[in-house]
Amino acid sequence: MAVPDVSGSLREALTACAAGGLTGVLRVAGDPGGVVHLIDGGVAAIATPGAPSAEVILLRSGRVSEAGWDAAFTASAASGTSMCAELVASSAAGTGELEALLRIALADAMFVLATGLVEECEPRPSQVDCLLALEPAADFGPLLAEAARRVRVLGATVGERDRFVVVPAAKRSGPPLSSGQDEIVTLADGRRTARDIAFASGRGVYATMLQLARLREAGVLTAVRSGPASAARERAPGTAGPAASAGSAAGDRSDAPGGLPRREKGLPSLPRRTVDARVNVSRTTPHRLLRPRSGGDVGPLGAE
Amino acid sequence: MPGLKESLGQILAVEGVRTVALIDIATGMVVRSAGAAEARFPEAAAGVADEVRLARTALGPGQRDDDLEEIALTGTRSLQLSKVLDTGLGDGLLLFVDLDRSRSNVALASLLVSNLASTVLA
Repeated sequence: MAVPDVSGSLREALTACAAGGLTGVLRVAGDPGGVVHLIDGGVAAIATPGAPSAEVILLRSGRVSEAGWDAAFTASAASGTSMCAELVASSAAGTGELEALLRIALADAMFVLATGLVEECEPRPSQVDCLLALEPAADFGPLLAEAARRVRVLGATVGERDRFVVVPAAKRSGPPLSSGQDEIVTLADGRRTARDIAFASGRGVYATMLQLARLREAGVLTAVRSGPASAARERAPGTAGPAASAGSAAGDRSDAPGGLPRREKGLPSLPRRTVDARVNVSRTTPHRLLRPRSGGDVGPLGAE
Repeated sequence: MPGLKESLGQILAVEGVRTVALIDIATGMVVRSAGAAEARFPEAAAGVADEVRLARTALGPGQRDDDLEEIALTGTRSLQLSKVLDTGLGDGLLLFVDLDRSRSNVALASLLVSNLASTVLA
């Protein structure tokens, strides 16, 4: 089975890092861009403004209390042991539970990174410098395969920058919501994107997008229409619209060719882009998603 | 301390178990797996996560004193056990176990897997 090629240049860079057994970072310039932390060529952590980190998920979900986190952090700094080891030692989290969380957070960040705009990838050898690192690190292939599966599942239903509001009648008369859904409904105020809701609730971006799609299908939420300026860009030739990629929602972006990003009336400011100033890439470059790939399949995620 | 791979590997020792996997219910992602897994296993795992979501809906999401614990799916040649592991994160995790029915006893397998399930996330 062919796997859709999510972000070919990122795949190439990760392949080179894995082949060289790099320990360090892979800086990914783009939108949202980020930093991939590598250990012996494997992916140990990903920091991106587009997806909540494992730390955010642990704290915002309430799984680990602020006091428990601070205590583990202090002990880690004093003893020089890893934060993961301290969280387990203080019984704040189990070994298996923490590994599962790190793998889930990695997959979510890779999904956001790989389906976004990748302008340049720059590997740099360095010491491991991240708070919660997966050790032994994960192979990148299953992570990219999972990102491709997520793109297939979402299709064009929900973009990470789509905004939703509650349908008042549906909220009153509809079926009861699950505990996760009612939190998302509470946070869906027409201003927050899927990414914003993910950060606020301590859930993954993909999990949030799935729930938003289900809630919209159930008639509980409805999408907020873009302003006239956004609509004009969606129609402009050479620009990717929301239907072109589930993960981009490019039509909602305000960085029009040749112009500065503009905050639209009634909408929050745009997230900061992670861009290398030396790179001169056209803003009209469409997101590279779902490009058919002739190569072989990648093994099941987790079966490394 | 053993990682997930090693913990899941212990369940492979139960008579008749062919595949064992930890699945994230919220996303349908295979977090880790052990044993024989086919290439399309990630898609199948997402389907199992959907089953759990539907079963929870059937139980009634408003009933806080009751929650889904296990789904047993019996085929002519296979037996699949899906045990919900509540972690307080997202929708929880699922311990999925695929067994050869001709070599398994449903009740005994469920009991043995339940006993080992608590060690997976520890």
